[in-house]
Amino acid sequence: MRYVSPYDPAARTPVAAAPRPETLAGRTVALLDISKNRGAEFLDRIERHLRERGAEVERCRKPLFSRPAGGELVERIAARADLAVEGLAD
Amino acid sequence: MPLAADMPAPDFALPSTTGGPVELAGLLAAGPAIVMFVTDDCPTCELTLRRIATAGAGVTVVCEAPAAAASRLAARAGFDGRVLAEPAPYETSRAYGLEAVPTTVKIAPSGAVAGTVVGWDAAALSALLGADLGADPPARKPGCAARSTYDAAQLAAEAATGDDDPEAMFELGWTDGLPTVAPTPERVAAMLAGRDPSASLGPVPPGMGDATLERVAACAVLAGCRPEHFAVVEAAVRAMLEPGFNLHGQAVTTQPAGQIAVVNGPVRRPAGLNPGMGALGPGTRGNATIGRALRLVVALTGEGMPGRLDRSTLGQSGKLGCCVAEDEERSPWPPLHVERGLAAGASAVTLLAGDAPLSISEHRSRTPEELAAALGWAAATLWSPNWWPIGAATLFVICPEHADTLAAGGWGKDDVRWAIWEAVRRPAGELRHGEFTARVANAHDTELVPKWDSPDDIIIIVAGGEAGRFSAVFGPCVGMDWSPVTLEVRCDT
Repeated sequence: MRYVSPYDPAARTPVAAAPRPETLAGRTVALLDISKNRGAEFLDRIERHLRERGAEVERCRKPLFSRPAGGELVERIAARADLAVEGLAD
Repeated sequence: MPLAADMPAPDFALPSTTGGPVELAGLLAAGPAIVMFVTDDCPTCELTLRRIATAGAGVTVVCEAPAAAASRLAARAGFDGRVLAEPAPYETSRAYGLEAVPTTVKIAPSGAVAGTVVGWDAAALSALLGADLGADPPARKPGCAARSTYDAAQLAAEAATGDDDPEAMFELGWTDGLPTVAPTPERVAAMLAGRDPSASLGPVPPGMGDATLERVAACAVLAGCRPEHFAVVEAAVRAMLEPGFNLHGQAVTTQPAGQIAVVNGPVRRPAGLNPGMGALGPGTRGNATIGRALRLVVALTGEGMPGRLDRSTLGQSGKLGCCVAEDEERSPWPPLHVERGLAAGASAVTLLAGDAPLSISEHRSRTPEELAAALGWAAATLWSPNWWPIGAATLFVICPEHADTLAAGGWGKDDVRWAIWEAVRRPAGELRHGEFTARVANAHDTELVPKWDSPDDIIIIVAGGEAGRFSAVFGPCVGMDWSPVTLEVRCDT
């Protein structure tokens, strides 16, 4: 490198998305409410649609929208759910 | 002295400008090697290289410069052969006893020096290379001193002006949209002044890149800082990364939040900060570059680049950087860092999260009460006209003339804070429009709701020119659970 990089290569390594499932039937979907205004209303509707398609739904919530989800919450989602949907913004 | 004939030529492994290291042993495997030492700014080197390129002679160029500068020299001279970059500390050049450039050394397959020509000498070089370099004048031309002979002062001067290529920085994306200074190893080393480059200040949100001192120094160089600014930059980055500051929320929000650094104490002088006329800028290198360095740490090391992880709807010019020095000498009150628990003689930086400053012009108030109310009501629409209380620390920068009026009645900063807080209250019934808080929703119509939860949310510093009754207030970043963070600036590390 001809210059000193301000980047951390570890933070720039892309993480591949998990493969898209063939079907939602029998799958557990985590719905993460980040505590933004009315995010829960949006997720309520998503939950109805998911259940109609045969999915199980696991609702979870982080206490403050502006801080990243804590390790325990992320681990819980990873352990209990096959997919996750985050209710972002207002 | 250059190596005499038959002496063993020292081996080397130097990076090629086209990638990968090149070793002398590898060159010699194909037969005798011609190694020509040059610098990127020596006219004789460029002449020699051009003539060699025209003749099509095979030489390996070792350029005492970083790769980018070496490549540019080759391009200027039309030379498309092998170019190796030898940035400081020029160990290979020293091993070859280099005094001047160009120095061209022929090395036999055995590894022994077979001949040396110093400078441009058409006849001697033609003989050494076994190629006709032509008869165009000049027949001879002396070169320049090799960089490996420079003393520390010359190298420092070189580092200060070294390998500047703003376009290269734009290509790399190491910019906030304005030209940046290339973070060459020499400049970063000067910024670090011998400190451990791998020491970590912690992960930088939102991308959680590790803020090693070297990366912070690279951002400081990019921002245009000089080494005397780095102690403030380092302390400010440490403050910014405190969990209570919640940089993560600020870095990704749709709000126009930037990071505001308030500097107090003796370090203001060596850092060249301006607490006086035009204190909020522009015009002063220390203020402009320190604030900018923090933002580049967030945007580059932290991956919080506007338009990518930084989702700010509009942004604002203060996100280029905002560093303010308090005019402690002009202020009638204790400085901010003393209010926040540090010794008066300490240097400190206080980080706040906020928007661009809103100017408050107030020329009519003659009493502290009138002026405090005017300052406070000017801030009443911050975030939203109906969002009471605002729920975040709010920075007021009081100009000297306003400070005099406020202090004339014997008022301290606490009195000013209290007067602003008490003046700026509205009945809840008038605030139920558009976006309003739970406190407004739950209050009786006639209940007075203050703009700030507590006078403690009102942060006051004094700065600005002697003439003019213009103070300013920074709208805070709202709803992000952040608190101001004050850390001592240590100049002895």
